[in-house]
Amino acid sequence: MSKGLLFLALTSTFAVTATAAETIKIGINVPLTGFAASDGTSALNGAKLATEQVNSAGGINGKQLELVVYDDQASPKQSVPIATKLIEKDKVTVGISCSYSGATRAAAGIYQSAEVPYISAYAIHPDITRAGNYTFRTSFVGEVQGRAGAKLAGKILKKKRAVLITLNNDFGKSLVTGFREKAESYDVTIVNEYPYSIKDRQFGPIVAKVKADNPDVIYATGYFFTAGPLVSQLRAAGVKATIIGQEGFDTQTFIKIAGSASEGVIITTSLDRDSNSQESQEFIAQYEKMFNHKTDMVAASGHTAVKVAADAIKRAGSTDRSAVRDAIAKTDLTASTGTISFNSLGEVIKNVQVQIVKDGQFRHYAVISDPELLAPPVD
Amino acid sequence: MLFFDLLVQGLLQGGIYALIAIGLTLVYGLLRILHVAHAGLYTLGGYIAILITNATGSFTLGITVSMVSVGFMGMVIYRLIYQPILEKPPFVALIASIGLFIAMEEIYRIVFGAYGITFADAPLQGTLNIAGIYLRHCEIGALLLAALLITSLSLFTRYSRIGIAWRATVTDPGMSQSFGVDVIKVRYLNFFIGSAMAAGAGSMVAVMNNLVEPTMGSVPSYKALAIIVLGGLGNVRGTVIAALIIGVAEAFGTIYLGNILDRDSIAFALLILVLMVKPTGLFSKG
Amino acid sequence: MQYEISLLTIMGISIIAALSLNLIVGFCGQISLGHAAFLGVGAYTSAMLTKAGVPFTAAVAASMLMAGIIGTVVGFTSLRVREDFLAITTMGVGFLFLGIVRKQDFLGGEMGIAMIPDPGLGKVGYLVLVLLLAATLALFSIYLKRSWMGFTFDAVADDEDTANLVGIDVSSYKLIAFAMGTAFAGLAGALYAHNIKFIDPESFGFVESITILSMVVIGGTGSVWGVTIAAGVLSIFPMWFQFIDDYKLLVYGGLLCMIMLFSPDGLSGIFGRFLNTIRGKNFNASGQ
Repeated sequence: MSKGLLFLALTSTFAVTATAAETIKIGINVPLTGFAASDGTSALNGAKLATEQVNSAGGINGKQLELVVYDDQASPKQSVPIATKLIEKDKVTVGISCSYSGATRAAAGIYQSAEVPYISAYAIHPDITRAGNYTFRTSFVGEVQGRAGAKLAGKILKKKRAVLITLNNDFGKSLVTGFREKAESYDVTIVNEYPYSIKDRQFGPIVAKVKADNPDVIYATGYFFTAGPLVSQLRAAGVKATIIGQEGFDTQTFIKIAGSASEGVIITTSLDRDSNSQESQEFIAQYEKMFNHKTDMVAASGHTAVKVAADAIKRAGSTDRSAVRDAIAKTDLTASTGTISFNSLGEVIKNVQVQIVKDGQFRHYAVISDPELLAPPVD
Repeated sequence: MLFFDLLVQGLLQGGIYALIAIGLTLVYGLLRILHVAHAGLYTLGGYIAILITNATGSFTLGITVSMVSVGFMGMVIYRLIYQPILEKPPFVALIASIGLFIAMEEIYRIVFGAYGITFADAPLQGTLNIAGIYLRHCEIGALLLAALLITSLSLFTRYSRIGIAWRATVTDPGMSQSFGVDVIKVRYLNFFIGSAMAAGAGSMVAVMNNLVEPTMGSVPSYKALAIIVLGGLGNVRGTVIAALIIGVAEAFGTIYLGNILDRDSIAFALLILVLMVKPTGLFSKG
Repeated sequence: MQYEISLLTIMGISIIAALSLNLIVGFCGQISLGHAAFLGVGAYTSAMLTKAGVPFTAAVAASMLMAGIIGTVVGFTSLRVREDFLAITTMGVGFLFLGIVRKQDFLGGEMGIAMIPDPGLGKVGYLVLVLLLAATLALFSIYLKRSWMGFTFDAVADDEDTANLVGIDVSSYKLIAFAMGTAFAGLAGALYAHNIKFIDPESFGFVESITILSMVVIGGTGSVWGVTIAAGVLSIFPMWFQFIDDYKLLVYGGLLCMIMLFSPDGLSGIFGRFLNTIRGKNFNASGQ
């Protein structure tokens, strides 16, 4: 009996000393296995780099930052217990979703009821921030980016006839909604729309039909593993129309897959490779050094989310979740993906970067900074 | 014009499906097993093709090594996974195969990375303009390969001794055994040929996409099942025709029915319709 | 405790889903590879109804009814086709259902349905409800197994043609099995919807169907307690294995394969053999 008490005393001493060297915990749900693994890996890498940068600069308020990471396989069924675990067992100060929309939306409800701040790095489902005042999003809502795409097509590139090749998921659909919303006001006629599945890699029939439609611009939504083959096949079939993509295209792997066909592809995104911002340049360089892989939009999103969280905790001066939430709401931070601030719903307000593929690299093309156009929803 | 363009695209996709589905129907015909893991071999074929081509600079070598090595891999899978459970109820092999397939996808992800791999210098990317229809060399290559392999298979089973013995075994294992046919050898041959063809398909798709990913086989894993049922389980000719029909149906369906059904549903809707009318598929076994 | 509660709730719902499939596959021997679609029917029905203001209990009942009706229709297909054909037809039904739901904006399309209303029972209350329902279904299954209906199912599962010859209306029994199995799947789906409060087509896809089927097979098709345990364990399998995060799917796939190779009758088979071994030893030891 006394041995048991002694043991208990010893372990609790250890527990006490352990908490003295306490860290500030940020919880992350991310798909590391399953179909979304490539995006998950990127986003997590971005988050890890941000953590590394924060810690080597002295941490937050003297304490080191620690990421608590769980694989949710981009499944709502898993992200919910993971959220509960992070909040209750790991006692994280802030949660960050590096996962897709379904998983994020499901978890957002948990974070909101528990009144723990939750930041969506790149998931675009509009209902995520509608979960409540504890949820934030550091990337564009789909519609906003779509509207920017319409301005790009009509006003900047002066195109008239557009064909939409739409990825059939929430990402693609919300982008297209935004595009359609503004197309007419920029004198762009939408000739046709062709949906495709996230699993498709052969686009022969769509390519053939687009060729027959003969548009002068194609608004294609997708991720690098669909966009790469799509662009390649469009060009091989002799389709000359300008192709506009979005942040899903924003990775070197897209250029690698499509090869010379990627030349001239224009995308709306948040990462400016030619940016003068020290934040962006440092991010790009250090990412490549740390992971031996060129960076992409998803990684930049993960990076930004952690930076926002760290900055807010610092300004709040404590890990009190409600204070941190208020601090996040007042964010005004220059991050790798631009200057971050939030509106009343928790949606980010920032400029849209436009990049073009030139000589096998993404280069600066334009910036869209129309506040009215880019105003995210407020409810 | 558009019509022919879509038709050609459909036949191309159908040809690829055929190459994959043949292996599946061969296994079913012989052993009544739904070899879902077959799709994992298709993916492996793609990986090996890229790896060998990147290492040696020759795609011809890449695809050859791919087909042969995956053929052997198929035989290994038969020996290790299926042979021990031949006497068990059918769902046992199905679940084991599914488990194996999941494991294979994960191994590819862990070993080769989640982003997938690409060719250092993708071969056969040039285009040919035939009467207004642009086809890339790799697409023409895929069509030719499919035609070549399917015809060879047909000739082989009709005119060679081994081929005839094989067909006999599929039709009636007991009888052929009494005629001195080594049933075990036939099984190995069966898996070798089916797997090699899938690898061929995987290699061509690798060139067409310039990308091989761990989950490349997930769509073929279930779509090939639909195709072999549509064609009549165990019937190779039926499978080829079913594959072409599905390819063409998808080509036209994705354009004109895109707002009602998604691509996968088109194949299955077709299948269910046919099965309601003809419950054993378009052609019955034989 | 919240975490444990959320895990147990998920376990309970998975048990209901697995037991519902067990009625079709285990009891009546009909292979279904599209079962998740019926969870989907239940989930979407309940979600839409409660969002329109229908009270929770009524919505759940409606979900079961909806799923059961659609299940009976699908059951008719099982009358036309057999065995392997049936397996793939059911798979096709699963895909078709999702393919259609994806395209309907009023069902949320790709975006799914969010902010599904809370039933108002609180976390613990909901867990109790789920566990009660799971227990009820388990007991019902056991009762069914021992009843005359269960014997008939057995006959149909074993040998359809002979059962027909003996005068059993095989068709009706197949339909009943499908109707019951899918109705309970609808229940599981509705409970899931109100638990996670967000549903999308992806949650009820082919992968999900296979997961439920593997619970039934690993538990031992037909064995109620085997399936219950397998469902309970496998449903939170990803959470068990967080420490080997990167490898857990690999382990899962390998496990499925290994169990089929070494103990195809699943957990109930393992336990059964274990019992026999003990009994055997006792037998010898007492010298009789």
